Amino acid sequence: MKIIASFLFVFLVSLSFGQIKKVNLQASGLTCSMCSNAINKALKTIDYIAAVDANIEHSTFEITFKPNAVVNFDELKKKVEGAGFFVAKMTFTLMVDQLDLYNDKHSDLNGTMFHFLNVGNHKITGENTFQILDKGYVTAKEFKKNSKYTTMPCYQTGLMGVCCKNKEKSVGTRIYHVTI
Amino acid sequence: MLQFNKDGNNLFKKRWLLAFSFFCFINASAFAQELFSFTEPASNMSAKSMGLRMNVNYMKGFQRDKNSLYISPEIMIGISRKIMIHGETFFSNQQQQFQFKGASFYAKYRLFSIDDVHSHFRMAAFGRVASNNSPMHSTAIVLNGSTAGVESGLVATKLLNKVAMSSSFSFVHSFSSPSLNSPNEIHNHLLLPNQKNAVNYTLSIGKLMLPKHYVNYNQVNVNGMLELLGQTNLGLEESYIDIAPSVQFIFKSKMRIDLGYSTPLVSDLTRVNSTGFLLRFEFNLFNIFN
Repeated sequence: MKIIASFLFVFLVSLSFGQIKKVNLQASGLTCSMCSNAINKALKTIDYIAAVDANIEHSTFEITFKPNAVVNFDELKKKVEGAGFFVAKMTFTLMVDQLDLYNDKHSDLNGTMFHFLNVGNHKITGENTFQILDKGYVTAKEFKKNSKYTTMPCYQTGLMGVCCKNKEKSVGTRIYHVTI
Repeated sequence: MLQFNKDGNNLFKKRWLLAFSFFCFINASAFAQELFSFTEPASNMSAKSMGLRMNVNYMKGFQRDKNSLYISPEIMIGISRKIMIHGETFFSNQQQQFQFKGASFYAKYRLFSIDDVHSHFRMAAFGRVASNNSPMHSTAIVLNGSTAGVESGLVATKLLNKVAMSSSFSFVHSFSSPSLNSPNEIHNHLLLPNQKNAVNYTLSIGKLMLPKHYVNYNQVNVNGMLELLGQTNLGLEESYIDIAPSVQFIFKSKMRIDLGYSTPLVSDLTRVNSTGFLLRFEFNLFNIFN
């Protein structure tokens, strides 16, 4: 039964999944340039980041990556939190030849698990921007508001549960909840 | 020995009320820079980073030719996003020659944080232990260079856009008593055990004055601040409350210069120095422990 449930929940989509072009993040809890610089410097310690373009006034950071970089969103978030602040919003932009989006389903994209929320079932192509909706990636208020889009427990934990494991990924694997 | 009296009790109650009001006011106010000149905010410095400070205080003495210079080198380390520590040493020429006076260790733990874009409300617990190798000349318990003792308390900071407001409340205990050659004869006595305990309370407001709009990290930031710094001795029924305006310059988003002045509004507790200037240099080294 579990296997059938897992099969139903997990959709492995066929796609050509390009490298993440950039990440835009907005930090919360700061207004001053020294605080912004603390985040800027912390992000730059990640070796696969090519550049960070900061907008101090809006507390936003546009991050671009070195070729073939495997972006770890949690690592970016941890750097912001280490600087003493929080992530209010994080989006990532990537090029896709073709991607089949299935609402409230899991997709394995080049080894990283994504759970699409509030997207509808359709195909996307070209450059697309996705927003991460996990806890700690949006304000607490937004996280609560977005909970209406799924009943799956992985939304609360950010980890694959017994309900949604598949052959390739085990229970406890990090899964990012995203919308377009 | 000092005695309690009716008027003193009333005065004491009023000051307790004032102290308590300071701390409560922060919770009722919606109020950028959360970097204050005379107090520490609830926020911590960046994890795995280090800050170096040189604090210089030029204080007016009891006698005109007895002005004192205090120099206090300080190191700050962000251990994690929730814990930071400070180590500070004190030197002064208060006793004629310029000499080492003592050291202090301070730690702060961020307990609580509600952050939104361009705003936050944070609370932190802090503690300080200070040593001092010279005679205590005052009944005020001043841990940064004049008294050996311990302090523990809470600080709350609200940041909203360009304005920050912070308040702290702490208990402080002195390890020593004033010496017999105290400058104020009325306090030529050993403190009773309860007179070695005091409460400190502060209220700070700061506003980012310049730049009007941020363009890059090289712009000079100018912050204006006004702080109230108080202490009430639990046994002596005496207090001081200083008012301390300051201006702060931040260069290249990593260097800081504070210029401040503090003078008493209320001054019952004796202090060797109560009025004077602060000049502070600070340099931040981000992510050096990565």
